[in-house]
Amino acid sequence: MFDLMLTGVGGEGVLTAGTILARAAQNEGNFVRGVQLHGLAQRGGSIPTFVRYGKKIHSPAITPANANLIIAFEPLEALRATYYANRKKTIFILNNWPHVPINSNIAKVPYPDINEIKKRIMPFAKNVLVFETHKLSLEKFGTSILGNTMLIGAAIGCGALPLKERTVRDAIKSTISRQLDSNLTAFDIGVKMGRESKF
Amino acid sequence: MYAVWLFHSVSMIKDVLEKSGKKVVLLGNEAVARGAVEAGIGVVASYPGTPSSEVPITLSAIAKKCNFFFEYSTNEKVAFETAAGAAWSGVRALTTMKHFGLNVASDSVSPVAYAGVKGGFVVMVVDDPYGWSSAQSEQDTRHYARMVKMPVIEPSNPQECLDLTKLSFDLSEEFEIPFFLRTTTKVSHSIGTVKLGKIKKPKTKGKFIKDPSRYYSLRPNLQELHKKIDAKLKNIEKKYGLKLNKIFEGKGKIGVIASGVSYEYAREIFNLLGINPPLAKLTLTYPTPENIIKKFIKDKTTVLVLEELDPIIENEVRALAKDANSKLIIHGKDFLPTYGEYNVATLMPVFEKLFKKSYGFDFAKHKKKTDLSIKGVPFRNPLFCPGCSHRSIFYAVKKVYGEKTIFAGDIGCYVLGIFEPFKMQDFVVSMGASLGISHGISRVSDQEIVVFIGDSTFFHAGMPALANLKFNDGKTPLVVIMDNSFTSMTGHQPNPGTGITAMGEIVTPISIEEVVTAMGAEVRVVNAFNQKQMTDALNELRKMDGLRVLITKGECRLVTKRKLRSRGLSFTTFYIDQEKCTKCGICTDKFSCPAIRTKKVGKETVYYIEPHFCWGCSVCLQICPHGAIKANTKAVKK
Repeated sequence: MFDLMLTGVGGEGVLTAGTILARAAQNEGNFVRGVQLHGLAQRGGSIPTFVRYGKKIHSPAITPANANLIIAFEPLEALRATYYANRKKTIFILNNWPHVPINSNIAKVPYPDINEIKKRIMPFAKNVLVFETHKLSLEKFGTSILGNTMLIGAAIGCGALPLKERTVRDAIKSTISRQLDSNLTAFDIGVKMGRESKF
Repeated sequence: MYAVWLFHSVSMIKDVLEKSGKKVVLLGNEAVARGAVEAGIGVVASYPGTPSSEVPITLSAIAKKCNFFFEYSTNEKVAFETAAGAAWSGVRALTTMKHFGLNVASDSVSPVAYAGVKGGFVVMVVDDPYGWSSAQSEQDTRHYARMVKMPVIEPSNPQECLDLTKLSFDLSEEFEIPFFLRTTTKVSHSIGTVKLGKIKKPKTKGKFIKDPSRYYSLRPNLQELHKKIDAKLKNIEKKYGLKLNKIFEGKGKIGVIASGVSYEYAREIFNLLGINPPLAKLTLTYPTPENIIKKFIKDKTTVLVLEELDPIIENEVRALAKDANSKLIIHGKDFLPTYGEYNVATLMPVFEKLFKKSYGFDFAKHKKKTDLSIKGVPFRNPLFCPGCSHRSIFYAVKKVYGEKTIFAGDIGCYVLGIFEPFKMQDFVVSMGASLGISHGISRVSDQEIVVFIGDSTFFHAGMPALANLKFNDGKTPLVVIMDNSFTSMTGHQPNPGTGITAMGEIVTPISIEEVVTAMGAEVRVVNAFNQKQMTDALNELRKMDGLRVLITKGECRLVTKRKLRSRGLSFTTFYIDQEKCTKCGICTDKFSCPAIRTKKVGKETVYYIEPHFCWGCSVCLQICPHGAIKANTKAVKK
């Protein structure tokens, strides 16, 4: 059984990423269960999503401190996911490009530096891998959102996410209708980044 | 022609229509939609409400293809009645709503239940423990069921969402009684592997047959109808109580009784603790599953009843134990809360105590540690999208009315005005309540009041309240109708003001301006993205007496964005001229568009606009007192 958690900022593609990976897991013959934690707003809030797959699964949510992998599309949201993490088994994969909440300015609470975030996550992680996906996506495609697809690719490429490259590619094809070619390119770049990482 | 921009670009909707026998991953709500299609649904009427919205979203998208009728009704009562009328005419009908929607529909529910139905009629209600949606209480629909005498079926997972929706239609038709399909957020928003069944060709034509014995809900017939519905409930329990509710044998004399998502948590904990106690899974939870409960408890020393919210099953077990097993120890709400959601972490200590087994991990201690790790980092509230008209409206109203004015809140995206930097939703009660409550305050107090209500909420429950303001005239609050053309918060469903139906028919929109004018209001219509227009109109209206309505027109920016994108266009974006910027912080701290950010360059704080998050509303340019915000000249790009 594999317990995957995805997290990020509402409206920035977290649910879509969850859909893609749930479909890929299903197409590899797994039993899939998960849950999307959202409600109030379409946008701007923290949006954790769980995808669990294996033979037989009951609870839609991951048991706290039991995630195998946490993919965070926004660094601060990775820090907020530590409740589901455990230093014995949890791998964190995160993008290092911050999406600073408006509260940071209103309440004068500074957004922590990426190294500080990493330092705070470490006690709850077996490993923390940081990729520059969203910045690269912005430079290459003119939009940061393809960084999500790239980060998924990195998770596959480095081996932290035990799904096949081909099935995830197919799931992207069947899920995304807009900018499909760019998404596939982004995915391939991510896979390469993952393979070349030290993990 | 359906406007393409109404659809979300990504969805699982195509999986909902996959072939019979195929296994796909569906959201609980999508599985309900598939179940309805497999049941040969003829009519669906709904008012959207999180966490139920994905059922109508899915069904509206496939209605044409599957040849059934779908409508977004103006509110849940009308939706319920529309579906009931179809069911009375022999067509299978579905209505869906969030728990609060049932309050709106409730006036018609009991009479329809008494009369019974011809075609299967399923009323899906999604309860929201924890309040993931913008809900104002954690009310438990199962109480309603007992009041209106309608059976309740409760799925635990997406597969059951499909199977039990279908079954509910069959049973509703067999016993000629409407059925509640009750889920909670965690069931409706869970995803999971679902094996699909055969799609039944829908029956969309029926006939209403006059039948006073059924439809004359006046005494003395009323008592006959009451007798009949009681008999139906008895028969349902007799025939299906033991069939639909299940006992899983296990080890020991301590048993677990669970329903809904709690059943899945119980199973998960059994695995984590390596225990296998006897388990009763309740699916048909009303009429009270007396037979199975008696059978289950008769040889137990102790039972643990797992149900979120109120101890309804637990109290029924208590009553039944009096005769069936008077020594039985019954646990449930003595250990667990009546509020919020259950989960593995909250339930684990109860299981550890009862079954004398340790999981070997302290969730509470872990939580303390992880809470410490996120201490001192900025909180992330949900917020208005970049370019949202609501931000602009709140800003203008605050500028004119200051902070002491009472700001009456209502249900819609604008409820987010409750947060910083606006804090302009002093109370939020229910759909349309901004008007009624404000009227009450204004009868007894001279305080100034501004009411905020959206277009869809106005059509839903605002019109009677506005008529009341006019009828019982006096000093009335200023009413701001924030018209963004859609029921945006739940996913851009059309309403009577939109100009298109859920089936994609172009219709003449109902003009809110004409409606409120007909009610005798002094009306001003302004562009929500124009600060000067708004503040001028507000200053003018503020000086007047009587019923005053400001209609602010500003299409939901997400829709505008999709429309532009479908034409290969994008927004004109804005930037901050660093030479003119005085770093006063108004744009970030008082207006707080998420596109406007700060960064440290050396020791200096620089204010800038993130172009990829700027949705071009231009309001920041209007509010900057130093003229530092300017439009990027490259307006259009492919």
